Amino acid sequence: MERIITRFVSLLRENGIRVSPGESLDAVQALALAGMRGRKSTRQLLRLTLIKNINDVPLFDALFNRFFNRFKLDISDIDLAAQLDAAIVSMDGEFTYLNQNQGDDHDEQGPLIKIDSEINPEDLQELKSLTEIDPDDTDGTEIMVQMKGYRGKSKAPRPSRRFTQNPLTIELGKSNGSERNIAFTLEEQLAMQEVVSKMMLRLRKDMKRMHNNQNRGKLHVIKTIQKNYRNDMVPFLLALRRKRRDKPRLVVLCDVSFSVSHASRFMLLLLHTLHNQMLDVRSFIYNRDITEITEMLANMPVNDLVHTIDQGDIVDLDENSSFGQVFLKFKKNYLENLRGRPAFIILGDARNNYDEANDSVLEEIREKARYMLWLTPEDKDTWNRGDCLINLYGAYFNKVEVVKTVEDLSTVVEELLRDIYGDRAEPIDRKRLQEAKKEEEYDSKDYYRRGVGSGVEPTFDPSGRSGW
Amino acid sequence: MITEQAVKDFLRSAGYIADDAIATAVFLAIQMEKPILIEGPPGVGKTGLAKALSSSLDFPLVRLQCYEGIDEGKALYDWEYGKQLLYTQLLRTQLDSYLSVSTDLREAVERLASEESLFFSQNFLVQRPVLRSFMSDKRSLLLIDEIDRADDEFEALLLEALSEFQISIPELGVIAAKRKPLTILTSNGTRMISDALRRRCLYLYIGYPELEREVAIVRVKFPALCEELAHQMVTFLKKARELNLRKPPSVSETLDWAEVLSILKTKQLTSEVVANTVGTIAKHQTDLQKVTDLALQELG
Repeated sequence: MERIITRFVSLLRENGIRVSPGESLDAVQALALAGMRGRKSTRQLLRLTLIKNINDVPLFDALFNRFFNRFKLDISDIDLAAQLDAAIVSMDGEFTYLNQNQGDDHDEQGPLIKIDSEINPEDLQELKSLTEIDPDDTDGTEIMVQMKGYRGKSKAPRPSRRFTQNPLTIELGKSNGSERNIAFTLEEQLAMQEVVSKMMLRLRKDMKRMHNNQNRGKLHVIKTIQKNYRNDMVPFLLALRRKRRDKPRLVVLCDVSFSVSHASRFMLLLLHTLHNQMLDVRSFIYNRDITEITEMLANMPVNDLVHTIDQGDIVDLDENSSFGQVFLKFKKNYLENLRGRPAFIILGDARNNYDEANDSVLEEIREKARYMLWLTPEDKDTWNRGDCLINLYGAYFNKVEVVKTVEDLSTVVEELLRDIYGDRAEPIDRKRLQEAKKEEEYDSKDYYRRGVGSGVEPTFDPSGRSGW
Repeated sequence: MITEQAVKDFLRSAGYIADDAIATAVFLAIQMEKPILIEGPPGVGKTGLAKALSSSLDFPLVRLQCYEGIDEGKALYDWEYGKQLLYTQLLRTQLDSYLSVSTDLREAVERLASEESLFFSQNFLVQRPVLRSFMSDKRSLLLIDEIDRADDEFEALLLEALSEFQISIPELGVIAAKRKPLTILTSNGTRMISDALRRRCLYLYIGYPELEREVAIVRVKFPALCEELAHQMVTFLKKARELNLRKPPSVSETLDWAEVLSILKTKQLTSEVVANTVGTIAKHQTDLQKVTDLALQELG
């Protein structure tokens, strides 16, 4: 019995469910205690002991059915596999009854019935006849693959494998223009939720600590006395006044033009997930024109929103993107009602299509913003080629980051939030900013000042253009 | 030796209708002396299960309601500072005479230090829920309610208690449970519970019950309600749950509604009845409209 459980556990692990050795011991103990009284109860026992997350349950049920149905299928086949199986079955005879399908139909309601009925005896018969006609059919190989796992030849992967296979680590750059209209898959959304919820967890924990450490002010005399009443007024426990603290605000400008659509797509999803979690986010999208989409993000399913944007209903996508125009329009329409010194994030490649740069607007934005961050999906090798103005614009920003994967994106946003919360954001005072820049000149990470003079006044280096 | 059927029966006697998964989980928790972690939407009877178990097994219920900022002083144990101070005040004369024997300060401190354990003894220990359930002479039921509301530091604090059934108190050493309590943790899933905690527990997900079980629950709680009506209202609520409401009606709403209907002496469910009592099943303004619309559509 232990052997079967171990094999089953390794099958679970192969499929990405994390099961600890302690849990498989629990499963064996539970089976010994409750005894084996049929398939349904065994499934429940194993599920109780091995599965600790509701999201894993459907996968577990599917695997359970696959694993314990295979016996029957293979026994009826006359080949080497069947003989091997028969040997194992006779060894662990106590388990063979699990292959019986009777009563399976009442097993569970919901999607489980579907799984069960998919593998009812008729289907198996059909499957078998299929393999007889064409042994090279995919069904055949599937059985072979399953057999391999079942004999325990393939090692269970380390649990971390699941995370390296995370679909979000796929480079954003891989998706190209032709995939433009593809909606977010469920996996992408789930993976994003996972990334964000992990991030939130880390953040919230640290925020709380910072909140406790930093946001405390003077002694609150009355509360301290109240708190120490039972200690005979000896102040063992102190109560401190709290400083007021605002919810951090973000203003995000997201380029939806053709050249960066693959990155903006994930940025939108991140915004959507972040929105209202703990932040006050105002989001804008732009191409040549700029529009606020905060309301839409809050109220629309993300796929619908992406679709609407892709159709060009919100901003015209056929125009060439122009950052200069966007900054002007942003100043005209929105800059006045930016409140509470938000952090300002721009996602874009700074390719201005040789339009007016209008970088002076950034100066005004910076006076209003607590922190400025530019995100670009482009490698810095190509920054100086063509119409890219990132060196000019970048001088106004506290930081310019390259984001290529969703992991990058979430890391950058997390760092930013920590900066805002921890009050470690650099002061906006320009002189001090430039001094700081001077001091950090030799920091190789500080790539945005390449091509900019020694930091006195941000000037546009025409070499970027002449190289074209 | 109890069986799962026995579990079902004694839960039924306490007015709780369990399905197979619940019965198996309870049975295993009793046999294996492992905590159960129950997750599920609010109002499906997670806490109710603990209460029913406590009354039917005659285990005294020790409840620990978690909240943000709960710490070991509130959950495990605490020192009774006031009592300690009071004792030192009252014993001052004795202390004086006791210490007057010593000739110099060093000796006095040593003498006092040798009696330190007096002031950190069980006598001055306040038992908070977890310790109380461990020290109970009778096997108790420890309910750690809504663990997801507590911080993750607190979760880590519980790990020792839940896996070893012991508490380490620096001044006293390790205190092991006299009788291992039957432990139930509930979570509404507002926060992911750490894998470390999950690993130490049996995991039970209680979702919305299937039709027959929910009808049975209503019938047990309100025997006066006729079966046909119970069936009708449960069917209606099942449809309402699929409406994508902000707060889908759960079993507790079903029971509230059943109570309202039995007070109103309703015989037949009509859209008018639903419209009049919709406040018991829908808890948001947008939901109210959706549910009344459904009633018009379904019941005419």
